[in-house]
Amino acid sequence: MNCIETIDLTHTFSSGEKVLKGINIQVPQASIYGFLGPNGAGKTTTLRLILGLLKKQQGQIHLFGKTIDANRVEILKNTGSLIESPSLYGHLTASENLKIHQRIHQCPAKRIDEVLEIVGLSKTGKKKAGRFSLGMKQRLSIAMALLHTPSLLILDEPTNGLDPNGILEMRELLKKLNAQEKITVLVSSHLLAEVEKLVSHLGIIHKGSILFQGTLDDLHKKQNQSSVVRFATSNIEKTAEIVRAQQLNPALSVDAVSIPVVEKEKVSAINAALVNNGIQVYEITIVKNDLETIFMDLTNNSNL
Amino acid sequence: MMFVNSFRSEWIKTKRSAASWLCLIGGFFIPLIYMIIFLKDGGTLDTYGPGMWQKHFTQLWQNMAVFLLPMGVILASSLITQMEYKNNTWKQLHTTPQSYTTIFFAKFGVILVMTFKFFLFFNIGILLTAYIPTLIFKGGLPAESLPIGYFLEGNAKIFATCLPVLAIQYLISLNFKNFLVPIGIGLLGLIGSLIGMPWKYIYISPYSYCALYVFNPKPSHYPVIYFAAIMLLSYYLYLTKKEKG
Repeated sequence: MNCIETIDLTHTFSSGEKVLKGINIQVPQASIYGFLGPNGAGKTTTLRLILGLLKKQQGQIHLFGKTIDANRVEILKNTGSLIESPSLYGHLTASENLKIHQRIHQCPAKRIDEVLEIVGLSKTGKKKAGRFSLGMKQRLSIAMALLHTPSLLILDEPTNGLDPNGILEMRELLKKLNAQEKITVLVSSHLLAEVEKLVSHLGIIHKGSILFQGTLDDLHKKQNQSSVVRFATSNIEKTAEIVRAQQLNPALSVDAVSIPVVEKEKVSAINAALVNNGIQVYEITIVKNDLETIFMDLTNNSNL
Repeated sequence: MMFVNSFRSEWIKTKRSAASWLCLIGGFFIPLIYMIIFLKDGGTLDTYGPGMWQKHFTQLWQNMAVFLLPMGVILASSLITQMEYKNNTWKQLHTTPQSYTTIFFAKFGVILVMTFKFFLFFNIGILLTAYIPTLIFKGGLPAESLPIGYFLEGNAKIFATCLPVLAIQYLISLNFKNFLVPIGIGLLGLIGSLIGMPWKYIYISPYSYCALYVFNPKPSHYPVIYFAAIMLLSYYLYLTKKEKG
């Protein structure tokens, strides 16, 4: 079952700019879904629509199988969120900021200390949130999202402003919440390297359209499919001809010819043909594209 | 119950806020000046003669209601509402499990209670300026006893004259990010109304009622009508707002 599902979600800004073009995302229950895309791709707009912060224009949004329009309060009781920059009252302490939400959610007061402990802010005492560093503000916002032990967490770039250690802690925390409490996490980011260590599912958005959606394994399969065998030889043109004769489509560079990964017997046959034709073979290597390259390819090659 | 929780949550936000300080300082400002004058000149409430409490009450309110009260109301209601824009917290508030109606009225409830607190401080100030100098210079209480009913009625009527200003400032503050817009409009409305006081149709200005009442306390339905109409419009605009953070 999907915890979040959007169907043909379309949104146009008042300036006429179409920011979302019929996107369909499915966030499975108890998954960690990475919502990935470059800046300005439409991630925050999507999340704001999901949370009802923006008025929906076209399409459907379902959370826990219900529409946000008709079940807003019920859905938000089970949802914790952090959208863009931290939302805190600068003249209040960390505890007071959390108390505001504790009163609304009517959760036990001891949860305030618990979540402050979880995010490592239990020793901030009387320091006002306005004097916190960006990382501390981000942590406090996450504490706010966790306060009422929600079953869904929607986090928009939650590691913004965190130091490497903070990023690592955040990742471990989200993994732990997902594994132990079965909390579904939707986390947006523009850095694939950051989310690939965290997520089980992934959606890549670019210019308002979803370019890829699936499990991390699906993306790894795509990674394998995009790997190439590279032949560095003394004669590139002739090498390409021999490769074409094997019904393959070569890609030429200055010093090598690349083909999609094929069976090792075929690689051997090409190598034999090259040697038989008097071409010196300097190197045969399998070049695997990393996920970052795939992400860049997806976003750069999309004709949107 | 949800409204009570929401109100208590909103009230926490006023802790150490500029609106809270304004309420405290504004409430005691005029009484403090009177206290200094009384103590310096050795004056007491009894010097007013018969109807001393009524005269004292009217005099202090006249000083307060013409400019300081509406100005305080403009500032307090704008500061409380604009706190969400200033801290970028509308989006967090609107993702809490509360209906928009609850949020709208809980926030306005805080503004009303803050105004009530301002009235309370001012009235405590009025009493202190009456009792302390009399105790010091006469060694006892004022010759006349405190007309509680008169005080309550007078306060309630002046409070009612503030309602249109509260509603207008709330409406503007909800809809404009820039703090200067509600303050600017409020100031223009207030100063314009004070300049236009001799005009026979000045009652059409919602900013004129505080001053009109203290100088000519005739009952009028305009403040309540204005208040109801502006609140209704404000509520409609808030509910239909396309971007909620």
